Formats: sequence, C-alpha cells, structure tokens
Amino acid sequence: MTEACLTFDNLTLGYNRHPAVHHMTGVVRKGSLVAVVGGNGSGKSTLMKGIVGLLRPTSGTCSIAPGTRFAYLPQLSELDRSFPARVLDLVSLGLWPKRGLLGRHSAEDRQAVTQALLSVGLEGVEKRSIDTLSGGQMQRALFARVLVQDADLILLDEPFNAVDSRTLTDLIALIKHWQDQRRTVMVVVHDLDLVREHFPEALLLARRPIAWGEARQTLSAENLLRARQFGEAWDENAPWCGQPAHDLHETMIDHDGIARHRHVARCNPYAL
Amino acid sequence: MTASRVTGTWRDVIHMLYETLILPFVEFGFMQRALFGAFMLSLSACPVGVFLMLRRMSLTGDAMAHAILPGAAAGFLLYGLEIIPMTIGGLIAGVVVALGAGAVARFTIQKEDASMAAFYLISLSLGVLMVSLRGSSVDLMHVLFGSVLALNNDALILIAMVSGITLCALGVFGRALVAECMDPLFFRSVSRLGSPVHFLFLGLVVTNLVAGFQALGTLLAVGLMILPAAGARFWTQSVATMCLLSVAIGVCSSAVGLLLSYHASLPSGPAVMLSAGSVYFFSVIASPRGLLLSHLRRSAHGSA
Amino acid sequence: MKNLSKLIARMTVVIFASLAVPALAHAEKLSVVASFSIIGDFAKAIGGERIALRTLVGANSDAHVYEPKPADALALAKADVILVNGLLFEGFMDRLIQASEAKAKLTVLTEGTDILNDPAGGHYHYVDGKAVFHATPNDPHAWQSVGNAKIYIQNIAKAFCAADAQGCSTYDANATAYSEQLAALAEEIEAAVSAIPQERRVAVVAHNAFRYFERDYGVTFLAPQGVSTESEASAADVASLIREIREKRDAAVFAENISDARLVEQIASEAGLTLGGTLYSDALSPAGGPASTYIDMMRHNVQTLTSAINRG
Repeated sequence: MTEACLTFDNLTLGYNRHPAVHHMTGVVRKGSLVAVVGGNGSGKSTLMKGIVGLLRPTSGTCSIAPGTRFAYLPQLSELDRSFPARVLDLVSLGLWPKRGLLGRHSAEDRQAVTQALLSVGLEGVEKRSIDTLSGGQMQRALFARVLVQDADLILLDEPFNAVDSRTLTDLIALIKHWQDQRRTVMVVVHDLDLVREHFPEALLLARRPIAWGEARQTLSAENLLRARQFGEAWDENAPWCGQPAHDLHETMIDHDGIARHRHVARCNPYAL
Repeated sequence: MTASRVTGTWRDVIHMLYETLILPFVEFGFMQRALFGAFMLSLSACPVGVFLMLRRMSLTGDAMAHAILPGAAAGFLLYGLEIIPMTIGGLIAGVVVALGAGAVARFTIQKEDASMAAFYLISLSLGVLMVSLRGSSVDLMHVLFGSVLALNNDALILIAMVSGITLCALGVFGRALVAECMDPLFFRSVSRLGSPVHFLFLGLVVTNLVAGFQALGTLLAVGLMILPAAGARFWTQSVATMCLLSVAIGVCSSAVGLLLSYHASLPSGPAVMLSAGSVYFFSVIASPRGLLLSHLRRSAHGSA
Repeated sequence: MKNLSKLIARMTVVIFASLAVPALAHAEKLSVVASFSIIGDFAKAIGGERIALRTLVGANSDAHVYEPKPADALALAKADVILVNGLLFEGFMDRLIQASEAKAKLTVLTEGTDILNDPAGGHYHYVDGKAVFHATPNDPHAWQSVGNAKIYIQNIAKAFCAADAQGCSTYDANATAYSEQLAALAEEIEAAVSAIPQERRVAVVAHNAFRYFERDYGVTFLAPQGVSTESEASAADVASLIREIREKRDAAVFAENISDARLVEQIASEAGLTLGGTLYSDALSPAGGPASTYIDMMRHNVQTLTSAINRG
C-alpha cells in the first residue's frame, strides 16, 4: 500500500458560513497524478487553497504527510507585473524554501534556475524584465519557479488557461516527468478530453466529491450528470447540515412538471 | 599658448572649483554638519523610499507628518516643550498609525491608501484636540521640526542611529521584502514572514520620517525619501541597483542643494529638493524608459 | 390674610433686590477683551479693578498661529472694549470679529505711534517648520519701544473713558501713574545700553522682532533670516552672519521664547559663543516667570542683553 501524501477527513472549507467544499474525505497517494475537475464554483480552487494552508478549514482536517515540501501555483497570480525584476529574479523566488532569508545562493542554485528555464523552453530569457513576457511565457516562467522549488507535492490551479498549444504540450510533458520522479501532482483542469488523455486519476468535485478514482471511470456520463446538478450559487436559505452527512432527497416539481430529486446542500460548518 | 599659461589656466580652474565646491564645507561647521546629516539620512531613507514607491505608498510621508501630532502633544502635555519626549511621543503615534493602517489594509477589505488616510486624519484631529484642551496655542510642530542648517550633536546622533538600524534591517530582511512586494500570494505559500516583514517595513518608514522631521524638517525628510527613489525608477529594472542609485541621487542633491543655498542665497531645504526634482524631471524625459525615448519612433529594429 | 400679603410683598422686594444686585455689580465692571498678553498687561494697569479682562493669546503663545475658540467669539460679543495691536499683527482678528458680531468698536493701539516700515515688506514667524510670511508694509512690534508703549497707554485710557465715563478719572489717574513708570523704565534702558561700548552693541536673535528697540536704544539686532522673504534661512545668510560674528567677535546670541532656538544655538556654537539667554519678543511669560508684565519683560530683556554682552 503506497503511502498517503494527503489525507482529507470530512474537510469543510468555506467563506462566511457558505461551504465551498464540504465533507471531503479521502487520500491522495504519494506519486499519484490527479486531475481535479468540476464546474465553475465547484470548489476546486478552494480545495487547493485549503491544502496549502491559505484557507483554514471550518471543520474537519486536511493533513499533509510530515516532511513534504509543497509548491503551489495559484489560478490568479498576485504577481506584480510592473515590479522591477528579471525573469531570473522571479524564478529564483523558488529557492526560498531551500535558502530562506539569509542563505546564499550558491552556484548550484544558479545552475538549477538556468536548468529550470531550459526545461520550460525559456532559455536565454533570464535577463529580460518580467513585464516584457507574453502570457504563455509568464506561465512557463511560473512553472520554472515550481521546478526550482523541487517539491514533493505540486498543486497547480488551472495552469493551462490561456496558453497556446505548444506551451500546453510542453507543460504536460513536464508534469508527466514529475510523475516519473515520484512527485505527487494535483492539477485543476477544465478540459475533460485533456484529462482523459493524460491523467491517470481524477477527482470530480461538485462542492462535495462526486467521484474519485481512475480518470475515465470518474468522468463517466452518469457522474458528470450528477455533478452538474448542484447549485452553483450560494443559497442563503439553505437549512443547516446535520452530521454525519446525510443526503436528504427532496422531491421537487420544476416548471416542466417533472419530478426531480435534488440534493439539497445542508451544511452547518460549526457542527463537529 | 605657452606651457606655463596652460598650467596657469588649469590652476585657476581647479582653484575656482575648490572655492565653489569644497571651500564652503571647509570653512563652516554648519555646512559640514548639514552635508553629513543629509548624507546619512539619504543612506537609509532613499532605499526605504524605493520600497515605499514599489508598494504604491508614496504619499505616506506627508500623511505621517500630520499623524505624529497626538504623540508630540502627549509629550508636550507631560514634559513641556522638550524635544526628546515630543520626538518619542511622535514616534509612538506614528508607529500606531502606520501599523494600524497596515493591519486594516491587510486583514480587511480596505486598501492601504484609504486606511492610511483615515488613520492619519483621525490622529491629526486627536492631536489638535489635545493641544487645544491645554489652552495654549504654542505651535508644537515648529518646535519639533528642525532645519538642515541647525543640526546639533543630538540630531546627528539620532540620524546616525536610525540610519544604522535601517541599513541592518534592510540587509537582513531585504530578500523577504522584495519577495513580499513581488508576489505576496506565492510568498505566503512558502513562508510566514510576509506580515511581520511588512510591519517591520512600516516601522522603518515611520522611524526614518520622525527622525528626519526632527533633524531636517518635513520637506527634506519626506522629500529625500520619495524624490530620489522616484527618479531612480526610470534607470534600472533591478531593485538593488534602484536603491543604490536613489542613495546616489539623494547624496548628490544634498550637496548641490547646500551649495546653491550657499552661493545663491536660496533656502536650504527647497534647494536640496529642487536639485533632486531636476534629476527627477531629467529622468522622466531622457531616461531609456522615459517620455522621449519610449515615444520616439525608431526606424530601425532588430530582426529578433 | 394681611400677614400673608405683607409676606408676599416683602418676598417680592427681596427677590427683585437680589436679582438687581448682581446686575448692578455686573454693570460696574467694564468688559474688556485684549488680543494678546502684552496689551492685556497694559489694560490691567489702566483698568485695575474696574474692568473684567480677557486675553485671547496668552503667555508664551504666538499670535500668528492662534486658533480662536467659540469662547473667544462669545467674549467678543459681550465686550465693551476690544483692544488690538493692529498693523496686521493679529491675523485671526478680522474674521473673529465678523463671526462674533461684536458690537464694540475695535481700538487699534498702534494709532498715533511711530511706525517703522519694514523694507522687505514684512517679516515672518515659524509655523509648522516653515515660516508664515507676514506681508505687512509696517513692522507691528511697536511695543518694543517704550515711547510707543506710552501712546498705547493713552489710547487705552481714551477707549476706557469712552466706554465708561464714570470711571474716567480712575483710568486717567492710572494711566498717568503707569506712564511715569514707563518713563523711568525708558531711562533705565537708555542708561544700561549706554554703559555698553558702542561697538559691542550687537545681538543675534532667531528672527527680528526688535527693530523698534534697535531704533530707540541703539542695539543692533541681527537675524539669520534677516530681511529675506523665503520661508527658511539660506546657507548664505547663516554663513555671512557667522563670518560677521567671528570677525567682529563682539556679539551675543539669544533665543526667543516663541521661536526655534536650534538654528541660533548652532550659529552661536560655531562662532564660539554660548547663548546669552532668552529674550521675550511677542508674548509675556506666565505669572511667576521673569517677564510676566510688560515692564518686567523690558527689564528682563535689557538685563539679559547687557549681562551677556558684557560677559562676552
């Protein structure tokens, strides 16, 4: 049995009492490559933030195996493009976990940075300032930074948005390479075909995990239908959730007169 | 022209240069102290100013001049018109305002410009209230704010201490400061130093400003923090170089300004500021990233 | 029944009488508002017990940065006599008078005094580290000349008489007595100054508020800001002042009670002198201080000047 890298135990993450992710339970094994999919607002970014520690769980736990170094590439970077820095400086930020505040950057480190830029296809761009990079180049540079971080657990939130197909191919190759190196990688992806083609494992989220397992099975039509039926907007009038999670089936008649089941999200984030 | 006449002319030139540039500082102690004080403050205030500018907080200096009033008033109420208690009071008030505004901006929905404005206005009003309650209309600020031509030993020691502390702090925490400015979300994901470093930085800003006010007056203190940094921005894309360049501009402007004040009988503070200001305008217009060169149409371009 | 009505009548008389007494007492005192401490001192000397005096800008305070309070406006509204220096010394006064809708006429004490023109068209005081430039064609510090002070006294007595005819004899008597004191003071000052050798009668102050003293008694006052119209001293002014002191070696340097002493201190130390003391220019000291009345102030200034010059 391979070791667990990440363990979720009834994790609920939310903003202002509204759950963005709730009752998440499961294990991410070391060395696995998992695609996190779901519709807009299904909680994928929130899950990432919860894993990294940017968001505190309202209930439940999310634990990383001790000693795991992680790297996180957010969906919306807060990078200040107009900051006076070269690509080299940006990628060297990745040395922080290793060198910290005062550690000198050795020749080895500089070599690692250059190698990382080479791996993402940005050789020769070190000295350019970051405000001269195109969108795709910036994404590659951020990937290079992740490379430099040399992490065991890599979390990428929608890294393929707005990149051209050549960049896409290169980045996918890089991710596969990470898997070969036995790093654990979780990637939020929108393109389901991409997932089916390149990712061995998938987690389908619709605020709660709908399905989790082998990619093609997880992305079956039935699962996708179930996922689509959760309400995207937050419902102010949703009643409280009881513990443990019970799905309450309510029968409702919609305008077409068809009785449909609806899984009403009832969640009390403060219940323990 | 004979050889002796040539050397004679050179000698005259050197003599004239000496008289213009060096002699004033040799002849008068107050000129030496003014130069030394301005130099030392430039060493610390200019790099701090670079970071202030990069964080888009350049107007903090002005706000801080008003924000320290309740602290100075408290010092005055307790100890009378003594400079040391008023300076310490002003420092405490400044730190409270800066950290309070910084905390509000960091942990709530408000942004820095609004929180800083709100805090300094409240602080200023509190200060005015405190002064009026005492019944006296002594102008505290004119007692507290100094002038570059009136630097006594205490003021020089104060600037030296502040300068030393700032340079040490920047040396130790510089990397974290840059990371926090460049990509705060990334930095948060790899380190917990983000918030403490930010608050430390605000503390450095206040310390440099209050020491500057007390020793050199508001115009020079705020001006030396912002103008050289603003000018240096145009010439380089590296933060380290920007800091060095801003110090150079600050130091040169101080010297030139003092000489102008000496030879042309101009007021000293404004003379230093306008020297820095002319460097700034030159940078705006003629630097590689300035107006002229970015908008000039270049007929030739590289093939790749 | 008759006892009751008598009681009521008696009570009515008592009540009305008690109401009238404070009214009468109030009518006794003349309500006077003086703009700053020196004028307030004059008013007290002339009016004595017959006036209820309120001074707006108190001891050790600067009239240039004074912010009036609502209580001041109220006092002005109720005032019978309002005393100001004039010559644009009190920048806040015009608006305050308008706001308070004071009925009393303004008595400008510099009327009839011997006014000095300020060649630069003004002088200034420190506010907020910069100086507020007082763009006046005349130097308002007329009280620094004892001769002018006598005229101030006469103007005050005239104003009090006009407002309160009953007390006129008292006011005139007080005025005469005080003028005699002033005459004695003037002689004292002249004697003290003439004891100083001519070439040593030089004093350095932060800014020049003593031009009337200079004119009347022959002491030269130098100031780093001199007559320049900028908001700060220029290095050239400071340098030439230091040079002059070094070369002549016979000046004394003084701080002022409402100005920033640091610049003067530096000039003193660089010229090899120490500060000779504090001079009082625009405001009296608080009671218990060395210059709590006008006469004390002038005496203190002269003594400080002479002892410092003679020492050096």
